[in-house]
Amino acid sequence: MSDRTPDTHDTVGDTVVDSATDRVPEKASGDRAQYGLCAGLALLGTLLLLDATRIGHATSSNDPVGPRPVPVILGVLLLLTAVLYAVDVARGGVGAAEEGEDVDLTAPSDWKTLALLALFFLLNAVLIEPLGWVISGTVLFAGSAYALGNRHHVRGLVFGLALALATFYAFAIGLGVNLPAGILQGIL
Amino acid sequence: MTILVGYIPTPQGEAALTAAIAEAKAHDESVLVINMSRDDKLVDAHRAPEADLGRLDEELSESGVPHEVRRIEHGTDPADQILDAIETERPRMLVIGIRHRSPVGKLLLGSTAQRLLLDATCPVLAVKAD
Amino acid sequence: MDNLQNLLDGFGHVLTPMNLLIALLGVTIGTAVGVLPGIGPAMTVALLLPVTYGLEPTQALILFAGIFYGGMYGGSTTSILLNTPGESASVVTAIEGNKMAKAGRAAQALATSAIGSFIAGTIGTLLLVLVMPQVVSFAVSLGAPEYFAIMLVAFVGASAVLGSSRIRGFAALLIGLAIGVIGIDRVTGQQRMTYGVAQLADGIDVVVVAVGIFAVGEALWVAAHLRRKAAEVIPVGRPWMGREDWKRSWKPWLRGTAYGFPFGALPAGGAEIPTFLSYMTERKLAKRPEEFGHGAIEGVAGPEAANNASAAGTLVPMLALGLPTNATAAIMLAALQGYGLEPGPLLMEKQPVLVWTLIASLFIGNTMLLVLNLPLAPAWAKLLQIPRPYLYAGILFFASMGAYAVNAQPFDLFLLLALGLLGFGLRRFGLPVLPLIIGVILGPLAELQGRRSLQLSGGELGGLVGGPVAWVCYAIIAVVLLWPLGRLAQRAWSARSGGPDDGPDAGGGAGGGVGGAGADRSASPTSTEVTP
Repeated sequence: MSDRTPDTHDTVGDTVVDSATDRVPEKASGDRAQYGLCAGLALLGTLLLLDATRIGHATSSNDPVGPRPVPVILGVLLLLTAVLYAVDVARGGVGAAEEGEDVDLTAPSDWKTLALLALFFLLNAVLIEPLGWVISGTVLFAGSAYALGNRHHVRGLVFGLALALATFYAFAIGLGVNLPAGILQGIL
Repeated sequence: MTILVGYIPTPQGEAALTAAIAEAKAHDESVLVINMSRDDKLVDAHRAPEADLGRLDEELSESGVPHEVRRIEHGTDPADQILDAIETERPRMLVIGIRHRSPVGKLLLGSTAQRLLLDATCPVLAVKAD
Repeated sequence: MDNLQNLLDGFGHVLTPMNLLIALLGVTIGTAVGVLPGIGPAMTVALLLPVTYGLEPTQALILFAGIFYGGMYGGSTTSILLNTPGESASVVTAIEGNKMAKAGRAAQALATSAIGSFIAGTIGTLLLVLVMPQVVSFAVSLGAPEYFAIMLVAFVGASAVLGSSRIRGFAALLIGLAIGVIGIDRVTGQQRMTYGVAQLADGIDVVVVAVGIFAVGEALWVAAHLRRKAAEVIPVGRPWMGREDWKRSWKPWLRGTAYGFPFGALPAGGAEIPTFLSYMTERKLAKRPEEFGHGAIEGVAGPEAANNASAAGTLVPMLALGLPTNATAAIMLAALQGYGLEPGPLLMEKQPVLVWTLIASLFIGNTMLLVLNLPLAPAWAKLLQIPRPYLYAGILFFASMGAYAVNAQPFDLFLLLALGLLGFGLRRFGLPVLPLIIGVILGPLAELQGRRSLQLSGGELGGLVGGPVAWVCYAIIAVVLLWPLGRLAQRAWSARSGGPDDGPDAGGGAGGGVGGAGADRSASPTSTEVTP
């Protein structure tokens, strides 16, 4: 069932590849960005191999294998996969981007939204300990909603605060989950 | 002149349309029906289905009033879109349907009808469904 | 009838107010996330994992199982009303279900799907009760080499059998395995792949990986491609079926169950293949095949039953062997590990109360789901009106909360974003998510079993090829891996013999058919016309 593969064994890259490319028209000319992914795989493999050279020989009668072979095997397989993947891409292989209920693949990627989301995400990571979850979580929610196109700023903040308070009381105080109170320590 | 109707597929929306047609007939005016569909929801209950818009068109044709049925598919706030339409189309009057709202509901969600009543630069006729 | 006694005991444990409440909570959340766009049961279980560390393991599992079953019900509601299947398992349901809804038979489509899910889920869970103990008693006799081989089958199955491209499946698997290597080696205590980062010494928590890949990755992916238009939903009243619908549904339900359960139980089964097979069967057996493509109730009843039966089947390898065959099961296994329980055949011996209470809760949850979904379907459809910004902001919010809560260190939040971007990349390049998550969860276990096998043999590689079970496993792997070579040879042969080159085309057509159904939602049934 799986052999819709545009991978190694399709000599002409015929119908099979076409069915994948049809649906991603803007990438019909072959999706070059895929080479970046291959490079990433190769890098990961290299990292594994480099790290493996550092690991000492720690074999014993209890463990004749030691910690080294698995990273080495994985590293080699990753390098191999990177090469095969690149070959597949060179032959016109394209992975079908994931669809979804809310996903519109005909439009180009919206990098601005993505960057804004990442920004608010990082802001939360920085603020969570000094200011506490209730504040950082509120900012995260309202900020993400803004990034995603919400223009009712007050409503976003109100919903965010309500969620942050609810989760803080239910999980941190109710179930003992680790959520910092931050500067609101003693008030909440 | 034109009568602008903010239409939604509910009894209030139908009431607004009926009132607008009556108003247009009385003054020999045309009707512009606008259905706003928010683009930030997977599903918007206020979006009139295609079949519904077709039916509207037929009804208006039967009533003999010059008319246009328009759907707006972008934006997240119906009030903004209708206020914009008032600026560009300069209708004589806006007709909307309104319904009862609990105080809490008003507080949480803010009312499109209220914004239109307060901010519209033309007279607004607000009708209720029976 | 030991099992029956155990099961009754399980019912005794589950029928406490608290457990019933948790089961109800689980199925409610499950249905909701099944209906909501962008969120699935796997993501939800991942998000809730950290906050359930305060619960008893049994209760947490009841919650998760409820979400798992509930997600199946909710997913079919959206695919029928909107023709936008949230997950691959309900793609086939959407083909006929949405046509039925458009023809004004939404109520019947929802009814046959809910009742069929209930019947299939109940039969499937009964089969689980019958089959699982047998599998366990067989599995306890297995040694490390066999386990190692079975895990390899799971790896190869998840990456090469499911999904559309082997190379992409393997790439995802290897990334997952590499993530699994990070941290201190369990046997020797050496640090691997940490590159001096102290926070990585304990490895990357599976929860952070799962939340990053499923929740953050999905939210980022959707955010970058947000559909800027409201879909048209088909209004629906309370689901009901007439006598004729019952007559046409009950056989497809049973046949669908028969397809779904065994496929779910296989290490590389999943729900896609059985739902598809069920659809093909119903089309062939239908008294009025011309209705297919225009809303045939059999085409909803069968696949929906297959879908839910496979969910029950999934629990067999999960509980008996500790092998996940889908994403939700993978995360439930991670949850077990998080509670310090070792998944595998010994789980049932060591934690019989947990296992049987969980199974009993499945029966209860399934019944609750029927009640929740039949009268309340219109209410669930209202969830689709939540504005997208709030929905995805909420996902990021809960993802951050969960990831932070695991270790209470902001470092995990940076890691979460990195993994989220990795998840984004997977979706962008069409790499499947399942092999990665299975690699992360099973990778370290497989390494452990592999090293244990070699320890038994004193380092001889022959130690990996233990008994007959291992042989069978390696044979399966060989067949799966060599399958494309075989086709290539066949093609070369038929080309040389000068005959029409139809062998490979037929094969490609079959694969394309499955993929087509998954890829193109409006796929007309003719494009899925293949003989499996």
